[in-house]
Amino acid sequence: MNFMKRLWKHRALAVMALPGFLILFFFDYVAMGGLILAFKNFDYRLGIWNSPWNGLDNFKFLIASKSVFFTITRNTLIYYAIFTVLGMLLEVSLAIAMDQLVFKRIGKVMQSIFVVPAFISFTAVQFIVYAFLSPDKGMINNLFGLSTRWYLEAEYWPMILTIVKMWSSTGYGAVLFLSVLAGIDPGLYESAQIDGAGKWQQIWHITLPFLKPMVTVMLLLSVGGILHSDTGLFYQVTRNSGPLYDTTQVLDSYILNSVFHNSNFGFTAAASFFQSVFGAALILIANMIVRKINPENALF
Amino acid sequence: MLKKHTVLKRIIHDKKITTGQIALLTVMLVAAIMTAIPILFVFVSAFTDENVLAEAGYGLFPSKLSLNGFNTVFKYEKQLLISYGVTIFVAFSGTVFGLLVMSMYGYVLTRRDFPLRKFLTVFLIIPMLFSGGQLSSYIVYTSLYHMKDNILLLILPQSMQTLYVIILRTYIVSSVPRELMDAAKIDGAGEYTTFFRIVFPLMKPALAAVGFMTAAMYWNDWQNALLFMESNTKKPLQLLLIDIQKSIETILSNRNIPPSALAAMQGRIPQYSATMATVVVVIVPIMLAYPFFQKYFIKGLTLGSVKE
Repeated sequence: MNFMKRLWKHRALAVMALPGFLILFFFDYVAMGGLILAFKNFDYRLGIWNSPWNGLDNFKFLIASKSVFFTITRNTLIYYAIFTVLGMLLEVSLAIAMDQLVFKRIGKVMQSIFVVPAFISFTAVQFIVYAFLSPDKGMINNLFGLSTRWYLEAEYWPMILTIVKMWSSTGYGAVLFLSVLAGIDPGLYESAQIDGAGKWQQIWHITLPFLKPMVTVMLLLSVGGILHSDTGLFYQVTRNSGPLYDTTQVLDSYILNSVFHNSNFGFTAAASFFQSVFGAALILIANMIVRKINPENALF
Repeated sequence: MLKKHTVLKRIIHDKKITTGQIALLTVMLVAAIMTAIPILFVFVSAFTDENVLAEAGYGLFPSKLSLNGFNTVFKYEKQLLISYGVTIFVAFSGTVFGLLVMSMYGYVLTRRDFPLRKFLTVFLIIPMLFSGGQLSSYIVYTSLYHMKDNILLLILPQSMQTLYVIILRTYIVSSVPRELMDAAKIDGAGEYTTFFRIVFPLMKPALAAVGFMTAAMYWNDWQNALLFMESNTKKPLQLLLIDIQKSIETILSNRNIPPSALAAMQGRIPQYSATMATVVVVIVPIMLAYPFFQKYFIKGLTLGSVKE
């Protein structure tokens, strides 16, 4: 009763939270419910509720086609690992570099340049990459006198996609870390300097410890999306080119393709289910581990 | 006087240009130039003469410049104008609506006396950790809600971003003085007045930073458009770009050209420079807007702890 009374007293707050609540409910939570499709034989004419259940058939299908499933899962995980480790390293380094630089005015200009690629969509980036890699008109082939048919050679793409991804997201990520660095009391550096600490020592003993909680939170959050990828990168930038699938097809681009071709719903639904549940399980485990080591940095 | 002197001394001391600083600056300049080259490349290609592109290919220093690329772009004006309109409408209404909904939700999360606070926090965080994925969203939106080709699908699903709500909430906690809200309440202001008259205006830096990120997200969204939008009158710019790419591919492989692309091109074969000019038209507004918002980025992004 007490609870209801307090709730009634704050009904205005409930009204203010309502729109956000409804949006999350209808566009996120109901879609989570859509994961039951993994256990159904979906038919568009029948809709979600009336489509017949088919138990674990979809998962059997998934395991039976193990080479496809294995390839796309492997690709997803490898790209996640490269992008996360390299990305975090570059973002932290760039943030520290920008923070340390004394030429503030030119620093501001450079910061703009580093951040802008994050705001160019991969549909547009795709054309830029094509201008570099087009077999007959591309700058790379022209400049180095090559005749490589880039969009048919799968082996180069892990490298190409990594470069594109780092170009696109490093600056933006660095700004997030920079906002943490801006909060460090300059007095700390000054007293370290008086104690005779060099620049590297200051970075090691002051800057990095300040960044650690943020790095941990970002890593933890990224674990939940371990099987999700930046679809634009893998679908648009590769021009969805079939011969490249072996090294570029990830779960998300595979699912997008099958949505467009209305094919393999069972397989895709099972893969989707795996993607969501595996990600959630991993984040719980990762959080547990962080909690053991340092409860301060755990998410929950 | 003495104080002034020490301050001055400290500034000079801090600005001491060491060899380390020069090396750092050089490395960063090289990185900045490498980052800028692909963007410059788009602009150069858009202004390159079509014949140069057809014969010598793309380059940073073309032998002949021309405005023909842009002329072609402005010739398929109708679809470009429609798509521009759609993108501006979606980005504008989505940002205004999203900022309002997210900051109200964030504000409620700062109120310790509100009994549903814990529940709403967990309710907000879960979608960041666990999601239905594209397939189930697609089927729920189209088969359950029957919202295919409904422009609201470009706006509503993305209007609540967990991370942005957390940023807004943390900003209120750290930068809007509690006493101000309490004083307003003592003066008899209701919850709505307190929020809209006192808290909301004080959130400006966070609203600017989050607002820019939200606007950019809407501006650049291609996936929802590609999945859900069918009629030409509801196609945003990103989808127009995809159509252009598709039509280049179909011309290369000699299949039928998608009608929407044909409409966009007015039956014309897309030219290399024209394609790049379209890319310019799509990316320039965001690039021009960013510097104005940059100063809010560091100030407004108090990420703080996600916990509580």
